[in-house]
Amino acid sequence: MRVRDHVELAVANLWKRKLRTLLTAFGVTIGIGALVAMVSFGKGMQKNVTESFRSLDLFNSLTVFSEDFMAGERFDPDRRPAVIQPSGAPGAVLDDGALAKIAGLKGVDTVFPEVRIPAVVRFDGRDEFRLVQAIPAHVTTSPMLRFSAGKGFASDEERSLIVAVSLLRDFGVQEPRALVGKRMVISSIGFDFSRLNPAGLTAALAGERLPFETEDTELTVVGVASSQAFAGPLPIQSDVFIPSGVAKRMKRLPFSNIWDIFRASEGRLGYSALNVRLKSPAYVEPVKKEVSGMGYRVFALADQFQEVQKGFLILNMVLAAVGMIAIVVASLGIVNTMVMSILERTSEIGIMKAVGASDRDVRRIFFFESSLIGLIGGAFGFALGWVVSGIINRVVNYFLAKQGVPFIQYFDFPVWLALGAIAFSVAVSLAAGIYPAMRAARVDPVRALRHD
Amino acid sequence: MTGASGSGKSTLLNLLGGLDTPSSGSIEIEGRRISEMSREELALYRRSGVGMIFQSFNLIPGFSALENVALPLVFAGMAKKERRERAHEGLAKVGLEARAAHRPYELSGGEQQRVAIARALVNRPRLLLADEPTGNLDSRTSREIVTFLAELNRVQGLTVIIVTHEESLAREFAGRGVRLRDGRVESEERWR
Repeated sequence: MRVRDHVELAVANLWKRKLRTLLTAFGVTIGIGALVAMVSFGKGMQKNVTESFRSLDLFNSLTVFSEDFMAGERFDPDRRPAVIQPSGAPGAVLDDGALAKIAGLKGVDTVFPEVRIPAVVRFDGRDEFRLVQAIPAHVTTSPMLRFSAGKGFASDEERSLIVAVSLLRDFGVQEPRALVGKRMVISSIGFDFSRLNPAGLTAALAGERLPFETEDTELTVVGVASSQAFAGPLPIQSDVFIPSGVAKRMKRLPFSNIWDIFRASEGRLGYSALNVRLKSPAYVEPVKKEVSGMGYRVFALADQFQEVQKGFLILNMVLAAVGMIAIVVASLGIVNTMVMSILERTSEIGIMKAVGASDRDVRRIFFFESSLIGLIGGAFGFALGWVVSGIINRVVNYFLAKQGVPFIQYFDFPVWLALGAIAFSVAVSLAAGIYPAMRAARVDPVRALRHD
Repeated sequence: MTGASGSGKSTLLNLLGGLDTPSSGSIEIEGRRISEMSREELALYRRSGVGMIFQSFNLIPGFSALENVALPLVFAGMAKKERRERAHEGLAKVGLEARAAHRPYELSGGEQQRVAIARALVNRPRLLLADEPTGNLDSRTSREIVTFLAELNRVQGLTVIIVTHEESLAREFAGRGVRLRDGRVESEERWR
């Protein structure tokens, strides 16, 4: 039998039982729709994350720590004496010399130290405690930072600051643009060296006055960043940024985390970390190797991304498995419809066999019918998944927009998903047609013709 | 072929038509041992080696007369255009060209049986098997159908085997009569 005849016969047979075909195909539609929505959601999330990594230049980024810092992470200060074994080379302190050395490596674009200054940010009569991050001016104009309003620093000495949108809410500001040009006060804390003597410390212990002093620096907001870059591996996120030159002259505590204090006692204080930007992701491995050889720990987000990808693979599989349940139910519907159809058409099968249809012809007639149901269901299923996820996307974005979250496409519909969904639907329907088709092929013509 | 019901007439016909397979013994038709054939070979044999008509006509209700006649050609893998031509020819031979587009339920019993005959002959077999072809027809139409079958035998040299209850009608046209009883040939005689 020719393929064309098979198709025409299948169409004619399904058309004859329109309602039943429609209901069965609708079951497939729902199944495929659910699967498509699930998979496109997983893929959409993955795409969003990958793209934001890429747009923030994170694949080009490395963070360098001194060995001490990492050693400290495995160290429990409650149980052991506060002595850190320096595991790297003796000079493995992240100072300006190390910065210069790393900056000179092949493929390195920029290096800037991770400097976070604990300070109180004062604006409009409100105080907010923040870790203010110092960054060089040229980084603020790079793609690592995106602005909702305003722009980056013109120079490292400019008396300005950049805030991230997340700070806006704490200060009760709605519109990012409204903040540009406003003045904020950064109140940083430093040791009061005049009181760092036995008398001063005794007074401090007595609760009289701590050996700290504060310094207010007034800066103008030049930009409102839409995202928080430099999140890096540290669990600290900054949403206030000041030029590195300004930061250098501010009074500040000489540490940003507790490990710095231990190192300070050994006289080995450097930067807690260096942010390294490379010219391309290809340099990640060679630079990592070189810097590790210098006695530092290197963290590459690109490495973490591999793990993230693995996570997404699992997420996608879980989502697909949920969608699969509906498909299994739908395929049982196909089996049911086809078996019913065979029972009704027994004498027709007998006639076809009597005039020369082989078992294979009969088998194929039913395979074509079930795969046609799958084709219809798959095509409409993809459309359904597309429409439904489009609606969900709108609704979710509508509510998130009220909270200041920018529009995000949560679902992704690559071409392979459309083709894959339909192909999968046909494949499942074919599988569902195996039993009915075999059964139809085994129909005994003598008994079938005696039917009536 | 005559005999009481249950004497095995239909079974013998189904065996000859390749619809059934013998539990013992062998069947040879024109030098082809159909009792040894595989299911696939039997399908091929039914497609072109033999034509069958039945008491209940066994037309497919959803198909037009033309589509019913063309059905065996579908399984033979013939192109649609050619199939239609052949089926039209076949319908013309049984005098039903004008009814080509009609569905079986729109045709009279005699017309349905003629469509069935056209279908049985469309692949040009050398053997036509008829299982009670006049069982559902009135006597005038029965005579018409049997006359037509006898004509095919006389003019085209087609071998026709008819299973019937109406021995008197058969005697008028058939050259040979076989009487079955309890699955065995009871008697065999030349009638004309």
